Formats: sequence, structure tokens, C-alpha cells
Amino acid sequence: MDILKVIDLEKSYIDPDTKDHFKAVDGISFEIKANQIYGILGPNGAGKTTTLEMIEGLTDIDGGFAYVKGINVAEKPFEVKEIIGVQLQSNEYFDSLSLKELLILFGKLYENDVDVAELLNSVNLIDKINAKPEELSGGQKQRFSIACALVNKPDVLFLDEPTTGLDPQAKHNLWKLIRHLNQLGMSIVLTTHNMEEAENLCHKVAIMDKGKIITEGSPNDLIAKFDSDNTEKGNLENVFLHLTGRDLRD
Amino acid sequence: MINSLQLHLAKVFLKIFLRNRQAILFSLFFPLLFIGAFSFSGGERDPFLIGISDGSKSQFSSDFIQALEREELFTILEGSFEELQASLEEGEIEGFVVIPENFKDISDLGVLKFYVDASQTRQVTIIKQALNNSLVSVERNIRNLSPLFSLEIEDVKARNQRYIDFLLPGLLAFMIMNLSIAGSGFNIVEYRRRGILKRLFVTPIKPKDFIVSIVLARMLIVLTQLSVVLSIALLLLDVNIVGSYFSFYLVVILGTFIFLCIGFALGSLAKTQEGIRPIVGLFTFPQVILSGVFFPISSMPEIVQPIVYSLPLSSVVASLREIANDGSSFFLFSNPTIGVLLWVIIAFVISTRFFIWKEVAK
Repeated sequence: MDILKVIDLEKSYIDPDTKDHFKAVDGISFEIKANQIYGILGPNGAGKTTTLEMIEGLTDIDGGFAYVKGINVAEKPFEVKEIIGVQLQSNEYFDSLSLKELLILFGKLYENDVDVAELLNSVNLIDKINAKPEELSGGQKQRFSIACALVNKPDVLFLDEPTTGLDPQAKHNLWKLIRHLNQLGMSIVLTTHNMEEAENLCHKVAIMDKGKIITEGSPNDLIAKFDSDNTEKGNLENVFLHLTGRDLRD
Repeated sequence: MINSLQLHLAKVFLKIFLRNRQAILFSLFFPLLFIGAFSFSGGERDPFLIGISDGSKSQFSSDFIQALEREELFTILEGSFEELQASLEEGEIEGFVVIPENFKDISDLGVLKFYVDASQTRQVTIIKQALNNSLVSVERNIRNLSPLFSLEIEDVKARNQRYIDFLLPGLLAFMIMNLSIAGSGFNIVEYRRRGILKRLFVTPIKPKDFIVSIVLARMLIVLTQLSVVLSIALLLLDVNIVGSYFSFYLVVILGTFIFLCIGFALGSLAKTQEGIRPIVGLFTFPQVILSGVFFPISSMPEIVQPIVYSLPLSSVVASLREIANDGSSFFLFSNPTIGVLLWVIIAFVISTRFFIWKEVAK
């Protein structure tokens, strides 16, 4: 069964400068099988975050449909919120609360009693149980925000650029955690513009540009298809640049 | 009515507040500064210094002067008309009474004249009352009547009209407004800026739960802060709340609710941290000036009075004041009380209209 199904999803905004409508997400469709890690790749402004926000119920859907485990997001957003876990790009929390207090609070939002120790163990932060988020390093902060997204034992986990700004050690550590969660049976959707990350983690990727999905497939298939002329072993980065062009994006 | 999530969230908000020592101190700082200033100046009931120019030197006039001297409200200074007029202009005395020459002839005592500085109108009413009292007691002596009514009542009344008694309810209402708007409005904007609202919004929490819990927590915080200031005022300044504390606190609670709701609306309107300050300023500043916090609305031009009376702060100030000063009750449903109740409804409606989870969480 598809754990996530998106059909002709659309979102338009009004450009504050030109007052023109533009489509941030322009009729995209994809589906994700249970237990997959699915990567949405794209340059800045491609519409990756907007796509996630529509599926998460954060942003209204202008056109098309999104179903999580068969539940229509637009019709039953609160039912969807119960079964998904979300990590946002910005990770700030209420002041002066410890990790323990924050996890208990997040648990309450789902009417769950959280096993804080187990949760912090799973993200390797048990020794920081009484620390405040602002005292954590970048990698620790990301792991903590994943812990927050796990309080409801979600079926699907959404990660928005989880490794942006992390050093290589922290990045690899986080990949390990994501793989581990996937092995436990969780479906994971992540956005990234790190090709290495997509190649390493994802079973399937979609490359997005200007609100559209321009190609979709497993990293190996895409490399074989678009970067086969390369004498050395091809990589996803070349595929990406080939498809989205080398122009600078803002 | 209140579910366990709301209670838990309210506890969390309280915890956050209690761990922020700076915010606690600052929220008490200004009201206490005000009260401190009054405890040094207005706190000790300085008697009014009143001049007397006695033109008759009769039995009646000396009786009258003695009666005035017994009045706790006054310290009497005798002098000539010219001397007293000079002192009054210098601001050394509050006013002076001129006793006419014929103040010995029972058939034609003439008119006592009381000279004042017109800018001190509030005190004039008090002084005039006390002067009348003294005249009445002299008159009773002459007519050999024993007083029908005890003078004690008049004493209490005079005490209740000290400026601090007038000011305190206004100051408390002002405090309620500032603390509540800061508590909801500034917090909303701050939580939004940091993406905290967005993070909450991806969980199944309902906006109602969020609002109720903030209102609960803030209500408790404001009530505590207010009680601290009020008890210090009661102890230090010998202020008296004539009406019931129940009525008084009922208005306090409703007032807090009004301004918390308005804070939510203003916080939802303001898109940025820079935006919220002018918006809040625009809302609070005119009210501080106009709503009778520092001086009565009735001293304002009549044409603006209806508008001024309809401001939310005016209703809260007037309602607290009539309970504290005049011993009114909430359940008499006077105009100010009805004003408060109307504002509760208006504020609730606008807060739910403006605080749209999806918009605010962005």
C-alpha cells in the first residue's frame, strides 16, 4: 500500500514585487511505498518545503489531493497530524525548558505519555536529558528535533533539510539515525539539496525545479540514465546539474 | 470545561514565566515605582495649609477658627489679606478664607470668601466641604443644637478622596492592560518569529487549547502581580477598598481577559517583532492619557467624553474605581460594569477572528 499519495498538488502565491500569481508547486504527483526513504531534491525555491507543508497540513492545498495512509489531508488534517512526525527547518522551542520537559509537552499534544529516557536513548541524547535545547550543538539539536517528531510513534516522518549546516561527523551520525528509524519500519520523506545525502539514504528520489517534478527514480537508475557518459562512476550531483542547469539560484 | 492538555500547557507557560526572573522583576518595577513615589509624597496625609484673614475678631470668628483647627484636614495660618494672597500665588498655601467685618452680627453675618488657585480644583471640593462642616458646627453652637449626624462620616469621606485613592484603581487597570497585552501579544509574535507556533501547528493541538492555556497562565500571573502591588499599596499607603474584594477581583479578572484577547488580536495583526510595538503603542498610549487613569474623564471636553467612556480601559478603570472608592458592587451592573462585560464579548470575538492558526503560525 502507498503510505503517501499525492495527486496534481498545486500551490500558488502572489509575488510581493510583481503582484503576479506564481505557482510554487505546479501540479505534482508521486507516491511513496511503506518503509521507503523518499528524497525530494531541488534547488532553493523549487517548492520542496511548500510541498511538505501542504502534506503536513501547515499550508492550504490550492489544487489536487494529498493522502497519508489513505486519509485526505484537506478533509481530515487533525487525523493526519496524529500519524505523522514533522521536523521543520527552524528548530526553536519554548525558553528555559529542558529536553525532558519539552518531550513530555510534545507527548501531551498527542495525549501520549512519553518514555523520555527511551526516546532520548534512541537519538543518543540521554546524557542531555536536563539540558536546554539552546545548549546543544547543531547535530544534537537536529537529533533532538527528530526525537520531538517521534513522540507519537508516527507512520511517516517528514524531515526538511535535516543535515543542512551540520559538520560531516554530525551529518553521518544523523544518516545513521535516519537509516535506523527506517529499519524499524518508519517511512521517511526528506528534502535536501545535498546529493550525497540522497544517494546515501534514499530508496527513491524526485528532482523538483520551479514547482514541478522533472524526474523521479532510484538514485542508481537516475545516474545510469542521465550521467552514463561520464567516464568515472557517475553521481547524482551531475544528474541534478544536468537537469536543473548550472545557473545560480537565489 | 478545561481539559488536561490545557492545564498541562498552562503549567508549562507558568514554568517558563517563573524561570524568567528578569521579566518578573520588570513587570513589578513600574507599578511599585509609582506607588513608592506616592508613599513618600501623598502617602502621609499632609494637612492642607489654609490661610485665614479674620476681619471681625469676634466670638463667632474665633469659634469658627477653632472649629477649623480641630479639623484634621487643615493647618491654619492667620494673616492679612495681602500676605495670604501672596502666599497663595507662591503656592505656599492651598487657599485662604476671608472672614468679613460683620461676622459678629447674628442678623447679618455676611459672606465668607474662600480664595483659591483654580488649578487645584479637586482639592477645592474637599476643602469646601470641610469648611462647610466647620461653619455648620459653629452654627450649631450659636443655635444651641446638638448634631443630628455624626461628623465622623464626613471624615471618612474626606480620606477616601485622597488622590492616591483615586489613582490606585486607575494604576491597577493600567497595569492589567500592559501585563495582559505583553503577555499575549508580545508572546505570540515572539513564538511566531522563532517558528514555535509552526512547530505546535504540525501537532494535533487545537488553537482553542493553545489560547485557553495561555489565558489561564497569564491570568494567574497578572492576578499575582496585581495582588502584590495592591497589598503593598494597602499596607504602605493606607488605601482602603470600600466595596467587596470579590467584586473588585471579578473586574480584574474580566479586565485581564479583555486585554489578553486584544493582545492576541494585536499579536496576530503584527507580522513582525518590530511591527508589534507601534501597534500596541497605538492602542495603549491614548488610553493611558484618556481613560481616566490619572485624572477624571469628567474634566475632559464634553464632546470627547462619550468616545472616551467607551474605551476598554475606561470601563475597567471606572468599574474598579466605583468599587474601590464608592463601595459599589459588580452586581449592581452600573454603566462601567456593563461596559466591561460588553468589552469581554467584543475582545473575545475579535481575538478569535484575528487569531487564525494557519496565518499566525506562518
